[in-house]
Amino acid sequence: MNHQLLHIFRNSPLGRETLLQSIYFSKQAKVSPVIYIPKSTKFLMYFENDVVQIDLDDSYLMSPDTALEHATELLEQAGVEPRFLDPKHYTASTLPDIHTNFDYMSCPRSISDLSSKIGLGYIGPRVRRIVKSAQFPVLITSPVYKEWESIAVFFGGSVNAFNALKLGFRICRISGMPLDVFTLIENNSQESYEKLITDEDLEKEMSRYVNNWHFLKNKTLEENLYDVPHNALVVLGAYGHHLFKTFVFGNKMEKIQSTISNNLLIVGPNYTAAI
Amino acid sequence: MRIFQSWRYPANWTIFRLDDRLLLILAAIIVGSCSGLASVVLNRLLMAMFNWFHHLRHYWWVFVLPAIGAALSSLFLEKIVKEGAGHGVPEVIYSVSRYGGLLRFRSSFSRLISSALTIGSGGSAGPEAPVVISGAAIGSNIAKYFSLNDRQRVTLVGCGAAGAISSIFNAPIAGMVFAIEVIIGEWKSVNIVPIAIASVMGTEISRILQGNQIPFTHRLFNINHMDILACVGLAVLTAAASILLTRLLRSMDKIAKKVPAPLWIRAAIGGCAVGLIGLFLPEVLGKGYHVVQTTIEGAFSQGLIIVGLATIAKIVATALTLGWGGSGGIFAPCLVIGSLAGLTYHHGLALLWPSVSWVNQGCFALLGMAGLISGMLQAPLTGIFLIVEITGGYEVILPLIIVSAITTSLCHYIEPAAYYMKELVDYGHLLRPGTDARVLSDLNVSELIEKDCIAVTQNMLLRDFISIVKKSHRNYFPVENEETGHFMGIIHLDDIRQYLFNPVMYDTVFLGQIMNTRVEVVYPDDDLADVIRKMDANRLFSMPVVVNNRFIGLISKGSLLDQYRRELMVQTS
Repeated sequence: MNHQLLHIFRNSPLGRETLLQSIYFSKQAKVSPVIYIPKSTKFLMYFENDVVQIDLDDSYLMSPDTALEHATELLEQAGVEPRFLDPKHYTASTLPDIHTNFDYMSCPRSISDLSSKIGLGYIGPRVRRIVKSAQFPVLITSPVYKEWESIAVFFGGSVNAFNALKLGFRICRISGMPLDVFTLIENNSQESYEKLITDEDLEKEMSRYVNNWHFLKNKTLEENLYDVPHNALVVLGAYGHHLFKTFVFGNKMEKIQSTISNNLLIVGPNYTAAI
Repeated sequence: MRIFQSWRYPANWTIFRLDDRLLLILAAIIVGSCSGLASVVLNRLLMAMFNWFHHLRHYWWVFVLPAIGAALSSLFLEKIVKEGAGHGVPEVIYSVSRYGGLLRFRSSFSRLISSALTIGSGGSAGPEAPVVISGAAIGSNIAKYFSLNDRQRVTLVGCGAAGAISSIFNAPIAGMVFAIEVIIGEWKSVNIVPIAIASVMGTEISRILQGNQIPFTHRLFNINHMDILACVGLAVLTAAASILLTRLLRSMDKIAKKVPAPLWIRAAIGGCAVGLIGLFLPEVLGKGYHVVQTTIEGAFSQGLIIVGLATIAKIVATALTLGWGGSGGIFAPCLVIGSLAGLTYHHGLALLWPSVSWVNQGCFALLGMAGLISGMLQAPLTGIFLIVEITGGYEVILPLIIVSAITTSLCHYIEPAAYYMKELVDYGHLLRPGTDARVLSDLNVSELIEKDCIAVTQNMLLRDFISIVKKSHRNYFPVENEETGHFMGIIHLDDIRQYLFNPVMYDTVFLGQIMNTRVEVVYPDDDLADVIRKMDANRLFSMPVVVNNRFIGLISKGSLLDQYRRELMVQTS
């Protein structure tokens, strides 16, 4: 368990659900959760080519006296050794720097806007920036704790989709959970997607790890999403296309996250996956 | 589509791929222009606010104006832009030292607005630090847009700072020197060329929009040997003023933090106190450039006591403004305090030796400014070039050098770290390129772990262990628990030496009996400097790296030296 997942702890019932999700993911993916209990509503994350200031909503600072106790209790109940992150560096006295050498990070859909914290269809701007800048995948948890029992990878052929697929293989290998791949057939044929897999030399992995490759043929992506198991961890790439295409045709990640309430593992453009 | 794709990734534009230096120079032109523009914007804002509030100056309640300004400034920073940071320059140096110059986009405008509120309402602070962080943040974000690497980003941060200082003072050399001496701390042609270009651009923008004026004009000074000798005394006085200002700023900050009130109320308290001082000594209000102009023209007609009081009052007002939460920099207050200190010194000399024909009091005011800047920043070149450029007075260069050099040395002796650097030094964040601390901070434990160690168990017989030793080229062997896999201790080859030549022991000694269980371990998150400290203290050559009670590898001084040299070569090439 050398890999680490960063979790920002919110000492509230919603935060408990999120931490339970992180703990479950950590146990399945064999990573160690590292918990940061914020002492101020702001912190900075310095990525390779960006610095993101996270402005947490006030609920993260609720009942600071019991935060450590609550987090420890949940971790110990799950049989996980509690590890807490204590920031070593500060850009300013109230602005700690949280290092970004993690393998995963767990986030709610919004980290800085309390009103939309449990709503679907909205990913806050900070979470977007983290996904765009991070060299690790971001686990966007569902609002209520639910154990996932399979993995569903959305594959559309982009670079990020390949990274998502490789990450799906990796979690499948480590957790032993069944893996399904979902591809929305748009203008291309089924064969063209298979050729992409062949070109990337991933045929062997596909046959080893993938249970079913579903080619979705309904008109819209939303209609097809009912086929995704309700208890699956959904792995998908984000921000793989350029601005113009996203602006005109929309973003698939946004459509998916606004339609299904599963746990999402989102792979951003700076993540490089290894199987 | 391809057009749009290439538009989003300017770093891939063919023109920039031809030569990285060309890319940096073009980026420096943009950064210098933008930071110059930011300075002009702040200057105009301050002038507008001065005009708005000027007619209110005769009302008795005017002392609340700095309080309102400081409170609004603090609220703006805390609640609207959520900056959560200090005066600016230390943040820029911190980011250059530790994170390759990464700065938030919001910093490119936040301090301009907050400092306009503080200074425009009468707070005793300067607009220079705010424009430095704005310029630096502009440089950093342009570097991000062009996907530049850390070194190039740091250069553009320097370009931003240089452009801003050049523009606000109409002083290109001072801007350049400040960026290299204070912000980057590395004199290399790869930095100097883009920074020089950014300085020129910043100055040109200022000259186009505001005219080419020397900020503080003065008449010609006729300096004799006695004046040069007297500079030594002035340097002592400016060093004392610098130390007093530095310590008062820090103590005000500490006192303010103890007040159980929101930051904006603390800022208002500080502002109110400044306003009250301003009722009696209006010289302390605002950036105070008119005071500087009056003193170096030799037109400040007050006597020794009043000038001395004004000097101390300006020091206190600056500490109250900045220490209690107002937004701004210390350049302008340093110029005012320095000029008043110089004037005080001149009055003192004239009183003690009335028969000596001293140079005009404006000359001492000018030298005092250089002394304060050099003392506070501990950057003598910045002090010298800034004063030469903003006064157009090259004839004072010799006494300027004397005052700057002596003040810097005295201040460095009493306060080893400059005002901007003090906290950074205290927390070990001042990491100049090519220094031991910087090299170590750029390496981490994870990248130095040697994983080719063979783990053994505590129940293994010595005979089996010897056969493992034959296959391994390592001297250290981690011992793990058979059932849990937890790390239990370590065996060094020296530990089995005494049994090696006694075959009887091969089947009687278990590794659990001879392993060393009192082992200092390292965690992947540990700072490398701390790890080396542990190694030195315990005279260790290698240490095991452990995560969750599991051994994951060794870290040794040998591999550290290899990586250290590589990193040092990268930083100093």
